[in-house]
Amino acid sequence: MEIKYTIQGLLIYVTIAAYLLALLVSLLRRPRAGHILYVAGFVVAVVSFSYRWYHVRHVPMQNLFEVFLCLGMIYPVSVFCRRVLHIGGRSADMLIGAVVLVPAGFFFNAEPQKLPPALQSWLFAPHVAVYMISYIFMAKAASHALWQLAGRGPRDDGNLLPPEEATYRLICIGFPLLTLGLVLGSVWGKLAWGDYWGWDPKELWSLASWLVYVGYLHYRYMFGKRHPRVNSFWAITGVVVIVVTLLWVNLSRLFAGLHSYGSG
Amino acid sequence: MLRRTAMWAAMAIIVLLFFLSVYGAFIGPERAKKFFNSPVLGVYWVAFALLLAVGVVLFRRLLRVPALLLVHAGCIFILAGAIWGSETGRILQKRLFGIDIVPTGQMQIYEGYSDNRVILEDNEIRELPFHVRLKDFRLEYYEPEHIYIQTRQGDAAWEFPVEVGAEYQLGSGYGSIEILRVFENFRITIDGDSRAIIDEPGTGINAAIEVRMKKPDGRVFTRYVFERSRGNIYPDAELYMSYDRVVSDYVSELQVIRDGQVVAEKDIEVNHPLHFGGYHFYQHSYDAQAAQYTVLMVGPDTGLNSVYAGYLMLCIGAFWHFWLRKPPKSAPAGSVEQD
Ligand code: HEM
Repeated sequence: MEIKYTIQGLLIYVTIAAYLLALLVSLLRRPRAGHILYVAGFVVAVVSFSYRWYHVRHVPMQNLFEVFLCLGMIYPVSVFCRRVLHIGGRSADMLIGAVVLVPAGFFFNAEPQKLPPALQSWLFAPHVAVYMISYIFMAKAASHALWQLAGRGPRDDGNLLPPEEATYRLICIGFPLLTLGLVLGSVWGKLAWGDYWGWDPKELWSLASWLVYVGYLHYRYMFGKRHPRVNSFWAITGVVVIVVTLLWVNLSRLFAGLHSYGSG
Repeated sequence: MLRRTAMWAAMAIIVLLFFLSVYGAFIGPERAKKFFNSPVLGVYWVAFALLLAVGVVLFRRLLRVPALLLVHAGCIFILAGAIWGSETGRILQKRLFGIDIVPTGQMQIYEGYSDNRVILEDNEIRELPFHVRLKDFRLEYYEPEHIYIQTRQGDAAWEFPVEVGAEYQLGSGYGSIEILRVFENFRITIDGDSRAIIDEPGTGINAAIEVRMKKPDGRVFTRYVFERSRGNIYPDAELYMSYDRVVSDYVSELQVIRDGQVVAEKDIEVNHPLHFGGYHFYQHSYDAQAAQYTVLMVGPDTGLNSVYAGYLMLCIGAFWHFWLRKPPKSAPAGSVEQD
């Protein structure tokens, strides 16, 4: 763990602080003030990401630091979920936003790296971006699954889906993106390494996380809402496997795989 | 009853693949590749494809809802393409149809020469029905390159772009440094008593820069900083210097020659392979000493079209089904039986 005494670091810490403050204020039943702080945090997160982009002069999604920086801009997802999907859980989003920025702020190396040849492809940015968006939806789905298990939902203004259904709808949004991310990764692998599937740990973990959601969708098709706790269990397992895909393989360096340059 | 069994079988086969993937992630890519290509897993893959086909036949909804058909048929295409392109698939193709495909291997080609031999993983050598010629191989570097300077004690450090003619101040006590010359391939020729320092690009790589140091006390001397010998230091020097270049690309200029004619031509680099005659040629490695030869990876495209078609179907189907359809407020519980 290290504190980053840089402008980039400062921007990250300000974002985290704004999100946490927004969460606190929301929990103290001041939703308007909470919302304003959340938006403020988002604006700083965008500045932070743009600053990085300007600094490294390529789409900043090359290493874990940059990926998590991107994940910190979660606000549009909250708006989309509320307006279009009638799914709440904004305070959970604030927490997700703060939590994903903690590794970027304190753990990952922010040293800019030149893009190695294998990453110079038009498929690179879409592959990572699509994955990131789907991960956000899946994380939000898991937070609703937790609410379902806890037997309560996000504060409701009468217009929101109950947690079990919210989980399902969120996974329905995230699943096609997850599928696309996997496919783009594979096509890119073919271009860069000569094989569309290399059996390396990162690939296998992302296949595993995709399969959890395939399993969830079939299970929910078979049983509907008859076993809501089992449905929630699938959704939470999915995110656990995603976290493993994202972090563990890179950080542990237990396996020497093709994706090792993706590390922090 | 049959449908329910099929659905449970689908769940089982999906969950099983989940555990197999996790296992594969633990054992590393080489062993995982062997594992997933083993005969037992071969049976598993075929069973998976068959079960998908059975599902499409059994459940009318899978046929009637185009998006769902795309998703499931897409998976069948992917599996079929992968099985067809696997080692077992190739052996079958040779036995059944006499199609003889050269499996994935490597080619090493020197500048100005052509070759058709592919060296396989087990060192067996196979020949392609055409030749590949390497016109030229080159490395490209990020610009500008940089020189790094550090004091012996490590209490101060500098980084400057390498631009001939540029002079940089190091601050009090250390004077200045001027970049005089950049060498792609530094050589010393000795002719009798006279020594000459020359640059001989094209015959090797020995990148270096020549710098002139001016000390505050008026001393001036010339130094050479080599990319190869990082961290080396003149015994009397008070500064460490190193010269680092970051490769931005490896480029092989290739020609495909058949019956003495050039039938295809392409400069390949990482991410931009050459595609010819059912094979892909990738920039894989190179001669790190002298940049005189390139190493290509050659792989057949058997089954690739089917896999890609499957990818397309799967993606279109998934977006169509989940994004464009307005899902029912709740999935009809237990609708498997009624279908
Ligand atoms: C990796 C393989 C598979 C994938 C990616 C996949 C994907 C999907 C998806 C995305 C759905 C839509 C679920 C929903 O609407 O919530 C679905 C439904 C379904 N799948 Fe699969 N599936 C796979 C394998 C199978 C297999 C092997 C069977 C064979 C029995 C099967 C049978 C069904 C059935 C019957 C439905 C319900 C369709 C409906 O909505 O009425 N699936 N599948």
